[in-house]
Amino acid sequence: MSPLKGLLAAIFTTLLWAAVSTAAQSPVAVDLRPDGRNPVAPVMGDHLQFWSTITNTGKVPIEGMVAWISLVEIDPGNEQPVDLEDWSAHKAVTGVSLLPGQRLQTNWPMRLIKGGDYRVVISITDRRGRQVYTSPTIQFHVCQKPVLNAGRVLPVAVAVPFLILGLMAFNRAKSHRRNEKTYIGI
Amino acid sequence: MKAHWTIAGKECVQMLRSQRGLWWLLALTSVLSAFSFLLVSNTELSLLDNAQVVYMMAGTVLAAGALLAAIMGSDAYAGENERGTLIPLLCAPVASSDLLIGKTMGLLAAWGLLLTVATPYLWAIGASGQNLWEAWFYLTLFGTPVVLGVGCLAMALSARTGSVLASLLSTTILLMLAASPLLIGPGLRGTAIGRALDAINPLAAALNTFDSVIIDSEPFSAQVTRLLLVAAWLGLCFMLSRQSAANIHFNTGKIS
Amino acid sequence: MIDIENLRLSIDGKEILRGIDLHLQPGDVYGLLGPNGAGKSTTLFALLGLCAYASGRVVVLGGDPAQDAASIRRYVGVMPEKAGFYDWMSATAYLKWYARLYGCAQNDQGRARLLEKVGLGTEAHRRIGTFSRGMKQRLAVARALMPNPKLLILDEPTNGLDPKGRRRIHDLLVEFAAVGKAGVLLCTHLLDDVDRLCNRIGIISNGFTRFEGSLSGLMGEQERRRHYRLRLEAAPDADNLPTGVTVLGPEGGWWRVQLRDRATEAPSAIWGALWHRGWRILEIRAEALSLEQIYMRHTGQEHAYAKEVAK
Repeated sequence: MSPLKGLLAAIFTTLLWAAVSTAAQSPVAVDLRPDGRNPVAPVMGDHLQFWSTITNTGKVPIEGMVAWISLVEIDPGNEQPVDLEDWSAHKAVTGVSLLPGQRLQTNWPMRLIKGGDYRVVISITDRRGRQVYTSPTIQFHVCQKPVLNAGRVLPVAVAVPFLILGLMAFNRAKSHRRNEKTYIGI
Repeated sequence: MKAHWTIAGKECVQMLRSQRGLWWLLALTSVLSAFSFLLVSNTELSLLDNAQVVYMMAGTVLAAGALLAAIMGSDAYAGENERGTLIPLLCAPVASSDLLIGKTMGLLAAWGLLLTVATPYLWAIGASGQNLWEAWFYLTLFGTPVVLGVGCLAMALSARTGSVLASLLSTTILLMLAASPLLIGPGLRGTAIGRALDAINPLAAALNTFDSVIIDSEPFSAQVTRLLLVAAWLGLCFMLSRQSAANIHFNTGKIS
Repeated sequence: MIDIENLRLSIDGKEILRGIDLHLQPGDVYGLLGPNGAGKSTTLFALLGLCAYASGRVVVLGGDPAQDAASIRRYVGVMPEKAGFYDWMSATAYLKWYARLYGCAQNDQGRARLLEKVGLGTEAHRRIGTFSRGMKQRLAVARALMPNPKLLILDEPTNGLDPKGRRRIHDLLVEFAAVGKAGVLLCTHLLDDVDRLCNRIGIISNGFTRFEGSLSGLMGEQERRRHYRLRLEAAPDADNLPTGVTVLGPEGGWWRVQLRDRATEAPSAIWGALWHRGWRILEIRAEALSLEQIYMRHTGQEHAYAKEVAK
C-alpha cells in the first residue's frame, strides 16, 4: 500500500470513529419504522401505524420529555406542514421520564385523510435541554380516491324533496275532493 | 286516552296534514339536498375523507333539528295564542303539565321525522366509508336531548312572552351564541375561556362526540361525560319550560 | 253552581277585579254585562282556574278553581270570545279530537246531530279553514255543548251571526237551560240577547259588581223609582234643584229627571218646588226604564252625562 493510501485510510478511520463517538455522546436516540401490517399502496381512508423507540443514551435521567409526530406534504408546488387534527388523535407523548439506558416504545396511528406525497418524523425534546432530536424520516405516498358516489347521492338529494312535494299535492287534492263533495251535498 | 297523548297526536298529524308543517320539512330537506349537491359537485369536497363528510352531514342535521325545534317551540304557546286556539285548549280539562308534555312529544316526533328523512342522505354519502351506523346512532343519542332542549327553551319563552317573534328571535340568538365557539377556530377554543365554554355547551358536546366517534372511532366510554352534559341541558330546559307553562301569558295578560 | 263573593284579582300588578259577586243556580241563564275593560272575561278566566285570584270566595260546581281547575272544567263547556280552530281539520274531526280532551266518548251520530243542531250538518267534513266567521261561531257553540256540560259559559256567542243564526243559537241555549239542572253564564254586549234569554243578570263596571239579581226583579224595582220626562218652556236652571231631584239631561225636546224614592212625598209637591225655582213645566210624563237605560245607569255612563249637564 502506498503511503498516500495509508494516510487516507487513517484519516477516514479517525473521522468514522469521531462520528461514532459523537453519536454515542447524544443523550437520546430515536428510530422510526412502519408497522409490518401497513398497506403497501395506501389509499385515502386507510390506516397506517408507525413505531418509534426512544432510548436515553446519556448518563443523566431525562425529565419531562416530549415526543411528537410531524407530517409534511411534499407534493411539488404543494409543500406544506399538515395539521394532524383529522389525521390522528395521538399526536404526542408528554411528561415522560427516562433513566439512563431506559427505552420507550410508542406507536403512532394515523388515518390518511388526503392524497399526496408525505414525510413523517418524530421529534423529541426535554425540560432541561435546548436541542430537538429527530428520528429518521419515512416517506410514503397516499393514492387519491373520490369518496362520494354521485350515483348514490344525487338520486337521494332529488327524490326526498320531491316525495315531500308529492305529499303536499296529495293532501291538497284530498282536501279539495272533500270540499267538493260537501258543496254538492254528497 | 290521557290528554298529553291526544295533544301529541294532534301535533304529529298537524305536521303531516297541514301545509305549513310540510313546507318546513321541504325547506329543511332542501338544505340537506343542497349540501349533498355541494359535496358531489366540488372536487375538493368530494375528495374529503368519507368520515369527514359524514361528520359534516351529521352536524348539518343537528343544526336543522335545532332550528326546527326553535320554530316549533316558539309556536307552541304564542302561535296558538295568536291564532286563538290556545284559550279553548286551556278551557278544556287539560293540566298545564299535560299540555307541555303533549307539545314536547310532538317535538320529539318532528325530530324523529327529520332523522328518518335524513337517514337516506347519511347513507348516500357515507355507505362506502366507516362508522356510518355509529354516526346515525350517536346523532340520535346526542341529537335528541340537544334538539328537545332547544325546543323546551323555546316553549318556555313562548309561554312567557306570548309572542312568536320574540321567542323565536331570543331562541335563535341563544343558538347562535351556542354555535359561536365552534366557529372561532381551534386556537381560541383551546384557551381557558374557550375550553370552559365548550365544557358547558351542549351543541359543542354533540359535535365533539360526532368528531370523536365518526372520525377518531373512539368508544362509548369516551363520550359519557358529554352525554351527561346534554342530559343535564335537557333537564334544565324542561324544568324551565314546566315553570313557564304554569305561568302562561295570553290575551288578557300574564296568568298563573 | 257558581258562588263568587268579593273576588279580587290583579294582573301584572294592576288590579283588574276589585269586588266581584256572582251567584248562579242550576237552571239559571245568567247574563253578565259590562263595558269593555270592565273585567268580564277576567272573571270567566278566574272561575275556570286560569287566573289566580288575590282574595275572595270562589266556588264553582262545589270546588275551588284554584285547587281543582282541571276536574271542574270537565263539567264546563266554554265558548270563548275568540273562536279559534285548527284550519286543517274538518268540523267533525275537530269535535272528535276535542271530545278526547274531555275524556267523553261521542259516536259519529252524536256528533252529526250536534252539528246539525248548530246548522253545520252539511259542512261537517269540510276543512274549518274554509268556514266563514259565522260558521266558526256556530262550531264554537257546538264545541261548548259537546261534553254535555253542567255549566255552559259563553262569551259573546252571537257575535258575527245574522238574525237567523242568532235565533238558532238562542233556541239552542233555551233548550239547553230547560233540560236538566244545567246553568248558563252568558257574557254579552247585546241587551236583546239578555232580554230574551236571561233570568238573572250581573252588571260589572270598573272591576266591581254594580248590580246582581233577577231580571224581573230589576225591572220591577226600576218601576218603583220615579223617572219623568218634562216638557219645559225654556232651558232650566239645573243648579238650583230641590232635594231628591236629579236631572238626567235633555233628550229629544224633553228634560229627563229622576225623583229619589221618598214614599211620603208625592211628585206634585216636587213639581211645585221646581216651578218656584223657575222651571216652567208644560207637560209631565212618567217613564218606564228600558234595560239599556238601567245598564247605562249602573255602568256610570248615564251619571257621567248627567254631571256634564249640571256643570
